[in-house]
Amino acid sequence: MNLKRDVAVQTYSGLGLSALLAITILNIMLHNMPQSVKRAGEKLLEINSQDGVANAVTTVVVYFRGFDTLGEIAVLFIASLGIGLVLSSHSEHHHKVESSFILKTASKLLFPIIILFGIYVMVYGHLSPGGGFQGGVIVASAFLLLLISHQDFELSHSVISAFETLAGVSYVIIGLMGLWILDNFLGNFIPHDISQMGMLVSGGIIPLIYIIVGIKVGSEMSMIVQNLLKRSDNE
Amino acid sequence: MSDIFTYLNQKEVIDSIVLIGSMALFFVGLFGLLSQKHIIKIFISISIMEISIFLLFVGSTFVKGYTAPILGDGFEKFVGMNDPIPHAMILTAIVIGMAVFALGMSFAIEYYKLTGITDIDKMREMRR
Repeated sequence: MNLKRDVAVQTYSGLGLSALLAITILNIMLHNMPQSVKRAGEKLLEINSQDGVANAVTTVVVYFRGFDTLGEIAVLFIASLGIGLVLSSHSEHHHKVESSFILKTASKLLFPIIILFGIYVMVYGHLSPGGGFQGGVIVASAFLLLLISHQDFELSHSVISAFETLAGVSYVIIGLMGLWILDNFLGNFIPHDISQMGMLVSGGIIPLIYIIVGIKVGSEMSMIVQNLLKRSDNE
Repeated sequence: MSDIFTYLNQKEVIDSIVLIGSMALFFVGLFGLLSQKHIIKIFISISIMEISIFLLFVGSTFVKGYTAPILGDGFEKFVGMNDPIPHAMILTAIVIGMAVFALGMSFAIEYYKLTGITDIDKMREMRR
């Protein structure tokens, strides 16, 4: 058969199907979305203030759907595990290009500041925009800077996995303590007075869990970054 | 000129713009997914489709005059604030999406190291 004609037929039929799908989806969503989907969170916002947390997004992530967040962290862990498994299969070494003096000094200067900012974003996740996921990624970016600029710098696998394991286990333990004390998984068993809303120590277990999420995301992302960088170096 | 802005500031019009824009981005990604042969370009196309969904969710909560659902700075009650649920969902989905994208990339890199092939039409290991 004529290959060119086949490709043309496939392209046109694909485009036609895509256009049909687009028109159908737009038709459905333009008629139904504005009323039905929009205000799903009204009720949640009403009961939100009972937990004494100023940031409603944090309450939803950590408390109302805390079990889903545990699952999402598990997905992140599996992705990190897969990258480590795939990319660490060979480890031949190569000649290293030394970074310039300015790059080295500047990255050393910036590293603690970025780490501090990441920890700030984690700890204040229940009061301001931010939280564990964002703070963890900021911490990983600090390690990325150091890994790029210092060729001989390497994160220790055992330290990172210790952090990761500790964070994962303490998430589950806090959830199980809620089950034991309040009869629901991830129940807010630490006293949380509504009058303390807006303080650093408020909201019971919610800031604690978000810090744990931050440690876990930070260590996993740093490991992913290191695996990708060190592997692609080995040309 | 102000007539145009009052028209564009209507809730339905903003919704339609967000929806049509994110759908257009989605189909840009879908076209890339179907037409490209390089495996890394295919992963990037999937990533573009994912980002269009994020835009749809975050944009669909936009209401003119509403603020972020955070107390403080003079806001005492959760009134006149945006819906927190799509934000909470997308917040986690972005990080997960990046990790899964990195996993796909690592497979592509390792496959290229082993065989020297990036074209998906030439991958014949599973076709027996």
